[in-house]
This record gives sequence, structure tokens and C-alpha cells, in this order.
Amino acid sequence: MIEVKNVKKAFGKQQVLKDVSVEVEDGQVVVVLGPSGSGKTTLLRCINFLENADSGQLAIGDTCVDLKKATKKQILEIRRKTAFVFQNYNLFANKTALENVTEGLVTARHIPREEAIKRGKEALDWVGLGEKYHCYPCNLSGGQQQRVGIARAFVLNPEVILFDEPTSALDPELVGETLDIIKKVAGRGITMIVVTHEMSFAQDVANKVIFMDEGIVVEEASPEEIFSNPKEERTRQFLSRIISLDSNYSI
Amino acid sequence: MNFNTAHFFESFLYGIKYFPNTLRLVFIPLAIGLILGTVIALARVYKVPVLCKLLGIFVTVYQGVPIVVALMIYNLVFMLKFNDLAGFLHIKTKAADVDNIWVGIFALSLTAVCSISEAIRGALLSIDKGQDEAGYSVGLTKVQTIRRIIIPQMIPAAIPTLINHVVGLIKASSVVMAIGIIEIVAGATIPSSRTYSFFEGYVAAAVIYWAFTIMIEYLAKVLRRHTGRFRRNPYD
Repeated sequence: MIEVKNVKKAFGKQQVLKDVSVEVEDGQVVVVLGPSGSGKTTLLRCINFLENADSGQLAIGDTCVDLKKATKKQILEIRRKTAFVFQNYNLFANKTALENVTEGLVTARHIPREEAIKRGKEALDWVGLGEKYHCYPCNLSGGQQQRVGIARAFVLNPEVILFDEPTSALDPELVGETLDIIKKVAGRGITMIVVTHEMSFAQDVANKVIFMDEGIVVEEASPEEIFSNPKEERTRQFLSRIISLDSNYSI
Repeated sequence: MNFNTAHFFESFLYGIKYFPNTLRLVFIPLAIGLILGTVIALARVYKVPVLCKLLGIFVTVYQGVPIVVALMIYNLVFMLKFNDLAGFLHIKTKAADVDNIWVGIFALSLTAVCSISEAIRGALLSIDKGQDEAGYSVGLTKVQTIRRIIIPQMIPAAIPTLINHVVGLIKASSVVMAIGIIEIVAGATIPSSRTYSFFEGYVAAAVIYWAFTIMIEYLAKVLRRHTGRFRRNPYD
């Protein structure tokens, strides 16, 4: 189980997270929705210590840390229990697809090279990139890069994978193939927190939807409830715009 | 003005004879510059507390001093104070026993450290922050991320500017003749004082520098192609 409690974070005078708490059960897929600037990404980055929160607690499995006062060792321990999929992929530019996937296994987890390569190849096969082991990221399309990114996270067998708008940098055609892979990851029973703007993905895959706005959790519920019967006015407002947008689009 | 080919070749051979001194004056500072320059650049880019400020001030201040001036100062300090220092450390060596090429190497090294650290800092700053974050996210420590992800990307990005500095260093190495060290220029003009063929002497020196520089630039191209395999356009 992952528990984030009372996270606060400000950038200068801008209070981005105002006391956010989130709980995720093992195997659950939690989708975080909300308008731009609502703090979704910052929340995710705080969980992985890519941002230092101003206060708050984090518990992953049996590891509990204070988000503000965590030691280097605790940060490393949390990072080795989590994996992150970035909006702009952030593949290691100097490493091939396979090396990208094995890096965390060999260097961070000291898994023997042959074993890591075997697992890395399996992971790449699994995301449909069996042909691209030795390609450098600059020779892969955006969708392929993001699939390597997902394989890189998945191969670590983490307690949770954090997805930060994994499809926002992709064109509509590639969004589909990437979402399919993410669904496959969810199908493996891996705990996931996904920040996204893909409503239909949230509807299909999420066990729980969290709606954030202006640095607070406005509402959290099952996707059925959030999409058909939102309790908060702000949620309704946000969803109605998007849903009406969806239905009005006919080209 | 007549060009005396025989004198030119004599000067050329003298220049070549002292070429190893120029090599020492270039490659020892280059090696020191690469090591310390990388350390300084990393300390500044990764904002090591206190150290990054001090190093920033040192680099800025030191780069404002012309190399000839620095060289003269070190030479004076060396001649006046070396014996005292040696006595204090109970070393029997006297200033007169030490080849003053080391003063030249010292002066060129400090200059190289500063300029190379700036070249490397520029290359480090050109690497996206996301590369560090990706390293941390798969569980690498900061040192592992720097060593395995950042430095390999920094090298091909730094090479064009670095080569500029190496070529600058090759040419700057000729100023050490101001403190009486014989390198290519001083060597090539040794026969000139007998034959009065200074023009031939300097042309001979220029030819040697020119060949040396071309060799270095060729090496740089090979190195860049080799270290930048992962880049879409290794020649960009």
C-alpha cells in the first residue's frame, strides 16, 4: 500500500500543493485528473523525490519517510521501490533501448548482467520492441521511446509505477498504442498512479479516480461515480467541458 | 627578401628537436585541465555548497589575467622563493637544478583548468535535467548518474569547444620562451641568430604548429565520431 499524507509544496509564493493526502491499495490503478496547474505532476514528483516537498509523509510498503527530512539513503530506498514514466520519455540518450532498460537492474540493483539482459529483452519484447534492442533513442519514434520508458519502469518490478502524462507528447495515433501498453501493465496487477488527460483511459482502467484542482484533492471516487455522478460542482464543471468537447467533435 | 631554403630546413629541424618540449607544455596542462576542469565544472553545475561559489570567483578572476603576466609572476616567485621553500621542506634541490619548463607547465595548467572547466560547464548545462531525473528514478545515485549518464553525453558536446582550447593551448605554449624555455619557436630561431634568417626560422615554426594543429583537429573528429555514436548527427 502507498500512502501519501499532508503533502505541501510551494514554488516561491505559489502554493502548488495544499495539504494533499492520497491512499493507493496494492494492485490498484489510480488516475489523477485535473486542469493544468492543479498540482498533479508535482504530487507525483514529490513521491519520487524529484521535487522536495515542504512537508508531508510517505509510506510505501513498510518504508515510511518524512518527505521533508528524508535522508539520502531513504530517498534511494524509496526510488528503488518506485519507477517513473516521464511525459517527455527522458530515455538515457547515450544508451541503446536495451541498455536503458537494464541500467536500473545492473547499476542500481546489482543484478548480474546476463540476467538483466534476459529480463530487459523480455520487457522490450513485451512492449512490442523486439526489433529495436540496439537502437539509440534518437532513432526511435516518440511512441517507441515511450514504450521503452514503460519497459524501463516495468522491468524494475517496482511496488508502484508513477506515470506523468505519459501520452501528452504523442500524436493521436501513438496515444492509442501507448495506452494499450499501459493497460497491459495494469493487467499485470502492478500498482500505478497515472496522471493523464485521457478520460476514456481513466474510465476503462482506473480503480479510483482522483480529481485535483488548485493544489487540493477535490473529489475521489470510482470512475463510474466520478464520470456519471460527480458530487462536487468543480468536478462536474471540469468533466462537462471535456465530455461536451468529446461529443461535439465531429469532423 | 630571399627565402633561403637551406636555412629554412635547418630551422625546421631545430624546431622539431624542441617539439617534445611543446608536447610537454601542451599535454601535461591538458591532462590536468581535463581532470580539474571536469571537477570544477561538476561542482559548479551541481551546486556543491560554498565550493561552487569559490570556484566561480576563482575562474572569473583567473581568466582576467593575461598568461604572460601570470607566467612572469610565477617565474619570479619560483626564482625568489623556491630555495626557501625547499629548505623549509628539507629538500636538497636548488632552484637552479629545476628545469624551469615546470614553471611554464604550471602557468599553462592553471589557464587550461579555467578555460576547460568553462567548456565542460557549458556542455553539462546543455544536457536536459530530465536525464538526471531519469537516472534517479531508476534508482541510480547522483554519482552513478553523473558517471554513467551525464559524462558520456557531456564529452561529445564539449569536444568542439575543447579542441578550440587545445589549439589555443598549443599556440599559447610559445609564450613560455619569455622565461627562457626552448620550445618550437625558440628552437627554430636558434640557427637564425647565426645565419640572420629569422624569416625562415619563424616560417619553419609556423609550419610545425600548423601540422600539429591539423593533426589535433583530425584526432578530435575521430574522437567525436567515436564518443558521439548515440547522437543523431555526430558532426553537428
